Amino acid sequence: MNTFLSDWYYLSIRNIKLIWRPLLALLPPFFMPIFFFAVNSLSLSALAQVPGFPDVSYKDFIAPVAIFTAIFFSAGNAGIELVQDIQSGYFKKLIIMPINRLAIVLAKLTEIAVQSLGQGIIMLILLLLWGVKIQSGFLGVLAIFAILIIFAMAWSCIGMISALRTQNARLVQSLFILVFPLLYLTTSQTPRALLPTTFAQITDFNPVTYIIEGIRALVLNGWGSPDIGYAFLAAGGMFVVFVTFTMFSFRKALK
Amino acid sequence: MGAKNGKIIEVKNLTKTYPGGTKAVRGISFNVKAGEFYGFLGPNGAGKTTTINMLVNLVKKTSGEVIIDGLKLEDNLDEIYKRVGFAMQEVGLDEVATAREMLQLHGRLYHMTKTEIDAQISKLLKLVELEKVADKFTSTYSGGMRRRFDLALSLMHKPKILFLDEPTQGLDPHARQLIWAHLRQLNKEGMTIFLTTHFMDEAQELCDRIEIMDKGKIVTEGSPEELMKKHNAKNMEEVFLKTTGSNLANEEVNANAPDPFARSRGGGRN
Repeated sequence: MNTFLSDWYYLSIRNIKLIWRPLLALLPPFFMPIFFFAVNSLSLSALAQVPGFPDVSYKDFIAPVAIFTAIFFSAGNAGIELVQDIQSGYFKKLIIMPINRLAIVLAKLTEIAVQSLGQGIIMLILLLLWGVKIQSGFLGVLAIFAILIIFAMAWSCIGMISALRTQNARLVQSLFILVFPLLYLTTSQTPRALLPTTFAQITDFNPVTYIIEGIRALVLNGWGSPDIGYAFLAAGGMFVVFVTFTMFSFRKALK
Repeated sequence: MGAKNGKIIEVKNLTKTYPGGTKAVRGISFNVKAGEFYGFLGPNGAGKTTTINMLVNLVKKTSGEVIIDGLKLEDNLDEIYKRVGFAMQEVGLDEVATAREMLQLHGRLYHMTKTEIDAQISKLLKLVELEKVADKFTSTYSGGMRRRFDLALSLMHKPKILFLDEPTQGLDPHARQLIWAHLRQLNKEGMTIFLTTHFMDEAQELCDRIEIMDKGKIVTEGSPEELMKKHNAKNMEEVFLKTTGSNLANEEVNANAPDPFARSRGGGRN
């Protein structure tokens, strides 16, 4: 095997093991999405009767948000794991090995992709059991996972950039607060038609809006909506920008 | 290419000035011969860790030249990393991996074959007496076990040169003796060892040649016997005190030196 691919592969295996070590760490990312999905779908179901609301149940409307949120929460852990590696000295050990720096970053992204896929599958099973239907079928499920995984990798880069720049666990952990404005300044809870004008305009500038609407289109309407393409564009754009900044931060950290 | 004239490490006019102006290393030059057990001593804040980190490019030098095994450092990093092992002050272990998993990963990242990896793991676990706990998570290890395992890790790819930064820091006398015995054995087998320490007994016990550094400069150099004779001292501790004096002011200066990999801990440099 090519040495770059081999480095990427073995570092990925090491990182993937971090996902379930310890096993209990797998549970928290599911708690809040399931809690909010359950509470909101039960308490706000009447919203679906409001004129202007799409012809779907509120439960189906917010189902994409539940899957998205689980991945959103856990992808941020990449930065914390990197700070731990830096603080323990393990990161230094990697740096003085004859391995490609890009392999270190890609291995981290691979971990995030595997973790997102696993969490996405579990959330999807839970939602299907709850009665949610995916109108776009199996291929739609694959498209949903693709959007989520690309977004998760991009979002994990923000944690990694912060880890490399600050090397401070508290600062990296505090990035968690960004999740809420990014998640709620969107059409996650209410369709655009029912949002006040100013709020709707704000959501236009939030890339998470396009990701949620793309997934929602796949869940509620099947194929054909331009929102699906916008979701891929938003996630892909974030991925390119943040991976570039992560590589830049990697180089800078070595000076 | 290999060591020139028996010199496996050549350092010329090496300096390091950190952003902010702290001069941690001020134009030092020295050579280490192949197979030598070389001691790099100095009080806290003398610039030892900055120097050893510059020798493996973990800290970028401001100026000067470093040649490792005949190769210019900045032009041949990957090749040099294959030839050196480094047990750092921070025992950088993967807390959620077992010792065996970590050794296997290291072997694979150095592109060793599976047979080589298995043989080297058996040898190293025996050397550092950790065979029985090889399949336990490293987070369960005591301080001494962690140091010994870190030493094994730095030896996994069979380096020609071993850099050790305060390898017995915080260890009890038994654990220190155990590490010393391993190091003596490795040196006897031909490995060049570059050791930084501020334990004078350790340096006297292990090193063929010693340099003492203070305030970023080398203040004296020679074998332990030569140094004791030269400074009219009974032991290395006396040599150390005579050549470096009080180290407190020095510590204050270097407390300002940023560690690019340990800022959040306020990680100290020596």
